[in-house]
Amino acid sequence: MFEEFLEDIAQKNGLRGVNTYLKLATGLGAIILCLLSTSYFSPLFIALILTGSILVLARVDAKTYAGLFIVPFWFALFSVAGIILVSGGQEVFWRWDPFSWLSLSITRESINFGFLVFCRVMGGMSAMCFIALTTPMTDIFIVLRQCRIPEVVIDLAMIIYRTIFIIVDQVKQIYNAQVMRLGYSTFLESIHSFASMCGAVFIASWDAGEDLIRAMNARCYDGKFALLGETRPVEYLPLFAVMVFLSLSSLVVILSKDMTII
Amino acid sequence: MHIMEGFLPWQWCLLWWIVALPCLIFGIYRLKKVLGTDPEALPLLGVTGGFIFILSSLKLPSVTGSCSHPTGTGLSAVSFGPWITAVVCAIVLLFQSLFLAHGGLSVLGANIVSMGIVGPFFGYAIYQALRNTSVNLYITVFLATALSDMFTYVTTSLELALAYPAEIGGIGSSFILFMGIFAVTQVPLAIVEGIVLALVFKYIITLKPDILIRLKIFSEEKINATRSDA
Repeated sequence: MFEEFLEDIAQKNGLRGVNTYLKLATGLGAIILCLLSTSYFSPLFIALILTGSILVLARVDAKTYAGLFIVPFWFALFSVAGIILVSGGQEVFWRWDPFSWLSLSITRESINFGFLVFCRVMGGMSAMCFIALTTPMTDIFIVLRQCRIPEVVIDLAMIIYRTIFIIVDQVKQIYNAQVMRLGYSTFLESIHSFASMCGAVFIASWDAGEDLIRAMNARCYDGKFALLGETRPVEYLPLFAVMVFLSLSSLVVILSKDMTII
Repeated sequence: MHIMEGFLPWQWCLLWWIVALPCLIFGIYRLKKVLGTDPEALPLLGVTGGFIFILSSLKLPSVTGSCSHPTGTGLSAVSFGPWITAVVCAIVLLFQSLFLAHGGLSVLGANIVSMGIVGPFFGYAIYQALRNTSVNLYITVFLATALSDMFTYVTTSLELALAYPAEIGGIGSSFILFMGIFAVTQVPLAIVEGIVLALVFKYIITLKPDILIRLKIFSEEKINATRSDA
């Protein structure tokens, strides 16, 4: 699970040099349009365009990108099945009443609604992946500071960001050492090994965090992290592309508002 | 348990953001106060945040558009209280969306309310009720963390039921349906999380009890008594 964070991909993607605000406007705009969609077509359209951008422009490996969708795809599929069964409708294809308080049915309206939710999840996920795969966290910290998010929150976020990598490294080392000593051979042994790993990692990370604070204090840390980063200029071509994408997607949302699958 | 991006209608996304924001603002106020008096609490907050990130990234599928995993928020609630936990959780949930495509940005408000606010509040309430009693320290930690985890799932089920009520029986039926599905996966996980975090406390008490004393999580007498019992 922790072999490769999306952050690692974002650090070397093909859109790394594009202005952060443009990328965030694309991703957040797409999420809002997906949520406002009343037909399945517009979220699919948005997902298609953003997937193309991620694969072609950001040059993200297709297999890695597809892997991100495996879990959401199954979750969305099962959840939509649940929604279809309970949401009801006028034109009933199948119905079963197991209890007085629960009726399960498949209707034309519920299939259309379920498919809309499924497409919204796929569209929303591709928009979120667009931000995650093209915008490194360090760039987002700069945006947060420019948006006047309280310093204490940004500092805490940066400490957590750093700690995550320390913890993941230690977890990998300790886990491998435990496996080599049959640490996870039975269920009870697994709980014991996992707990001792968590305890050891907690204490070691605490020490690493204290060392960091001591090192920063020695360098005149005044409660505010220095954040180095350049604000990349807004170039005409990416700006034009984002405006075309958002306008076209809005148009598709409006024009396809009554479209249903059956 | 994180709700996925795009799963909730926009009205519910907005409502949960409106519910989460005042808690976050108060949490930031408390955070400033704590760091103002004890700047060295920052590394522990970072470690706690990193811990929540790792624990709540261990996801298992469940069948309701979400996923089951330990939350780890009980540890933060016990160490820093529920308000600061809300802020730590909000940061962790944002990182999970952007590092692992786990959760979402529009549904962040809903996820903060369930995992960062309601769950930790229940965990903290249990901890406060038991910390100065004769109840064993490990049982206190077990109950606080396990119930914090369980109430996170109850809240998410409620959020899903409110957004997608059943045609017959409405929100109540939908809630029972979502809870029924989650209980199967989450009750054993909550118990395991409680046991794991109780063992983590045991480990900390054995090796570095000064952490718990400095943060006033438990009294020195109680920690010493627990150490001598072991």
